Amino acid sequence: MIVGYVAGKGPLHEAHPFTGLVLAGTVVILAVALPAPQGPAALAVALTALALLAGLPRVLLTALSFSMPVWFFLGVIHGVIGDAPLRALTVGAQIAAILIAFLLVLATVHPARLVDALLQRGVPFSLAYLLAGALQAVPRLRRQAADIVNAQRCRGLRVRGSVWRRVRAIVPLAIPLVLGVLGEVDERAMTLDARGVAAPAHRTALKPPPDSIPQRIVRWLLTAAAAALIVWRIAG
Amino acid sequence: MSVRLGGVSFRYPGSDTDALHEVSVALRPGEVTLVTGRLGAGCSTLLLVMAGLAPQATNGTRTGEVTTLDRDPATRDGRKVLAGRVGLLLPTPWTQLSGMSFTVEEEVAFGPANLGWRRPRIAETVEWAMERFEVAHLARRDPRTLSGGELQCVMFAGVLAMEPEVLLLDEPALELDPAGAASMYEMLPSLAEERTVVLASTDLDRAVAVAHRALLLDRGSLVADGPAGEVLGSDGAVATGCSTTIAEIARAVGLTPGYPLTVADAVQRMRR
Repeated sequence: MIVGYVAGKGPLHEAHPFTGLVLAGTVVILAVALPAPQGPAALAVALTALALLAGLPRVLLTALSFSMPVWFFLGVIHGVIGDAPLRALTVGAQIAAILIAFLLVLATVHPARLVDALLQRGVPFSLAYLLAGALQAVPRLRRQAADIVNAQRCRGLRVRGSVWRRVRAIVPLAIPLVLGVLGEVDERAMTLDARGVAAPAHRTALKPPPDSIPQRIVRWLLTAAAAALIVWRIAG
Repeated sequence: MSVRLGGVSFRYPGSDTDALHEVSVALRPGEVTLVTGRLGAGCSTLLLVMAGLAPQATNGTRTGEVTTLDRDPATRDGRKVLAGRVGLLLPTPWTQLSGMSFTVEEEVAFGPANLGWRRPRIAETVEWAMERFEVAHLARRDPRTLSGGELQCVMFAGVLAMEPEVLLLDEPALELDPAGAASMYEMLPSLAEERTVVLASTDLDRAVAVAHRALLLDRGSLVADGPAGEVLGSDGAVATGCSTTIAEIARAVGLTPGYPLTVADAVQRMRR
């Protein structure tokens, strides 16, 4: 399992990984720089439509689950206490748009394709490894933590019940997890070394994703639009 | 000689005893050399020293001379020149995962890609290695979803895909089922035809059938070095449990040293 990735064959999946990243970066600038509240709200609606068209309603559900608590506090702070509901709407829409954009990238860009795209552009192996390694570490740690919970429960540790009991259970769960990870680091370092990581050659990208002139044009246009918007906001 | 150790001692940080003590040995291509001994004898450390990972990755202090394919593997220059030419397989497959591959095929290709090979050559060698270890049908699977035995075969394929000239195997069949372990051991003599194979193992019933030579270690010191049958059939090896089940039975029933190591040996001796 890869965190956030949803297998598919739509245009977003087929696009070069850099196109998705540039799109997400542009969304951040648009969300902040477009006139509020209409701009960020329209952006959030457009991205919602894009996610639905791409057949990725799960992205919207995830964005909603992260956004809801924030929206609630924004509503209370700006809407009720601060008497500025438009401000709450603006910030809420900005957060939603940015979240949807990045979750769309996460759902459609396979990490292996991104790593290969980075390696193809001459990015050092260590940086590419950091990215892919971090994405793979989450499910592994989750599994390891579950194993430790089960092992400790077999030895009589009670991890359910009152809040105090749960807090007390954290230490016997966290220590083996941390020590296990540290122990693994040594062994992994050895095997990486033995598998040619120290080789002087630049690592070969195994399946470099195809890029096209139209996609390059889209990336440049998005970048130019974002830059123009920044200039316009500063000048205005 | 592809690997040569001259009076090598190694001590891990924080330890007050040597993990290896004054070990001298020379290994040549074309042989499977078995390294064995009791727990803490220094077998794994010997492999790490040959690979240059001790002290490079483990820290600690090494004295004496180590030459692997004409280079000291622990030096910066040695690491660069030997990258991919010395393959190491550890007993625990899950800690050997690159952490960067999303399919078995990518995992096997990890080493060759690091060596900067061209894609057609990588594809060819990966296919060959996966077929050799009968894991080609797993090519599209996420390596993290495999069983320990399957994953160890994948890791072995990944090491072999780099076409190493020296192959260091530390308990390679620990995670495998009996049939898998047997076929992995049976493969070693053919792998040794083109390279030096060093096998650290305590699965001596299987190892003895494929090893040409054996090194017996005891608390870091090399106490015996010679043809596998001779070393493992000696009274010292059998008395310390560093031999085969058949040899232990032969000793228990009162046969004289030079104990038979396999059922076939025992039958032959009884006939004589």
